[in-house]
Amino acid sequence: VAVGDAVPSQVVDHYENPRNVGSLDRNAKNVGTGLVGAPACGDVMKLQVEVDENGKIVDARFKTFGCGSAIASSSLATEWVKGKTIDEALKIKNTDIAKELCLPPVKLHCSMLAEDAIKAALADYKLKQDPNKEESEKKA
Amino acid sequence: SGRSGDGGSTLRPLYMDVQATTPLDPRVLDSMLPYLTAYYGNPHSRTHAYGWESEAAMEKARRQVADLIGADSREIIFTSGATESNNMAIKGVARFYKSRKKHIITTQTEHKCVLDSCRSLETEGFRVTYLPVKKNGLIDLKELEAAFQPDTSLVSVMTVNNEIGVKQPIHDIGQICRAHKVFFHTDAAQAIGKIPMDVNDMKIDLMSISGHKIYGPKGVGAIYVRRRPRVRLEPLQSGGGQERGLRSGTVPTPLAVGLGAACEVAQQEMEYDHKRISQLAERLVTKIMSEVPDVVMNGDREHRYPGCINLSFAYVEGESLLMALKDVALSSGSACTSASLEPSYVLRAIGTDEDLAHSSIRFGIGRFTTEEEVDYTVQKCIQHVKRLREMSPLWEMVQDGIDLKSIKWTQH
Repeated sequence: VAVGDAVPSQVVDHYENPRNVGSLDRNAKNVGTGLVGAPACGDVMKLQVEVDENGKIVDARFKTFGCGSAIASSSLATEWVKGKTIDEALKIKNTDIAKELCLPPVKLHCSMLAEDAIKAALADYKLKQDPNKEESEKKA
Repeated sequence: SGRSGDGGSTLRPLYMDVQATTPLDPRVLDSMLPYLTAYYGNPHSRTHAYGWESEAAMEKARRQVADLIGADSREIIFTSGATESNNMAIKGVARFYKSRKKHIITTQTEHKCVLDSCRSLETEGFRVTYLPVKKNGLIDLKELEAAFQPDTSLVSVMTVNNEIGVKQPIHDIGQICRAHKVFFHTDAAQAIGKIPMDVNDMKIDLMSISGHKIYGPKGVGAIYVRRRPRVRLEPLQSGGGQERGLRSGTVPTPLAVGLGAACEVAQQEMEYDHKRISQLAERLVTKIMSEVPDVVMNGDREHRYPGCINLSFAYVEGESLLMALKDVALSSGSACTSASLEPSYVLRAIGTDEDLAHSSIRFGIGRFTTEEEVDYTVQKCIQHVKRLREMSPLWEMVQDGIDLKSIKWTQH
């Protein structure tokens, strides 16, 4: 797949000036990890959130295997979740991400995957907080 | 580097995408200019000097094309490009012999225009065998032998693949086709002028030629159609009967002149170009592979044209690498597959794992590529692959000793 008409500068910016690339300790109780996508599809996002005792997201990290739009979408997602409560973060929509990055129609699925990644990370965090539920080996 | 709309910057990316197209060789431009300015006659005008001089130029170009491939100039028909030539060869031959022959053999790694022509013929009631290729990209000659049927009219196998650069065993294929008395067509767009081709040596009956792949102009190509034994084909384009009735339409003299000149220049430069390009290719591959682990070269290492290098960088997605290498014009797979979101069908045909197929980049080295350009490309490539791997969850998992094939990925 070739790069489409001039990659939007916002997208390039997220690669050239990365924010929040990296990892948090997935074994920490207050860290939620979401892993979405599949290598066979050319898109895999890992998004992690660190939540404080008040339910506020204080840190976030991401790693992505995917095109520039996928990297930018997940990068933007980590920027946006910081400082939000879990419920606020769950309200982040893929359409907002796509609009912010001026994603063309053919790249909308990248923003959808980023929204999935946020939800997966928060779901993982919630699961870890509930001591009654068995922590199933949730890879997604 | 400059991007459109970028105010003021005059630098442009390095051009490393010669399989997509090539710049005009200055000698080719020189040959064309008189026919774009003063000598503008229609080469089919019989009654005045404008026509006669235009025709003479066209015939000279025809000889130049023929000389490059060991053909007679009467066997060269000018077309708008290799796509048209491929359409003519496949549809034209199939339809001419359709009363007795209904079967065609081709491969899964052909250019889209060949595959699409075959698909179109299937809707007309023809049967097509799409031969698979081995992991190295080459066809299995035994499978080819087994594929012949009593009513096979044509075998079409491209000489050099535009995505991965592998070179099919054309000599052997020609021999097999002759033995079966079946016409052999080859799409030689990426091969002529780069490797020696001889239609008699290789027992080729039809050949497609592209101008803009060999430092000639865009919008022109040719088809070689053997006269002895005679290959007949039903024309695609009807009209005044130009080009022996096989391709009506005014031959665009300046473009034909350009194609002829490109062929002549290529013949002169072939040996030197091949040697230089081989060295540069070796340099690029060796440097990258010595610095970066987990890089796969797609296609046979030996049976290939050196100037087309397709590498897969595991755990890094191809398009992100292209974006990162913004100072270099490269491609991930062929331009023709760029509209879809699927990974390249050529890589799929050679059995590349889907995630590696998404991680491939094609490097094109040509007549005008310099050592500095190769070194810069290599340096940037190494730098950004390393950087993207730092950003890759797959690389992280592999470093932690996780087997990616054991993961249950989410559907999307």
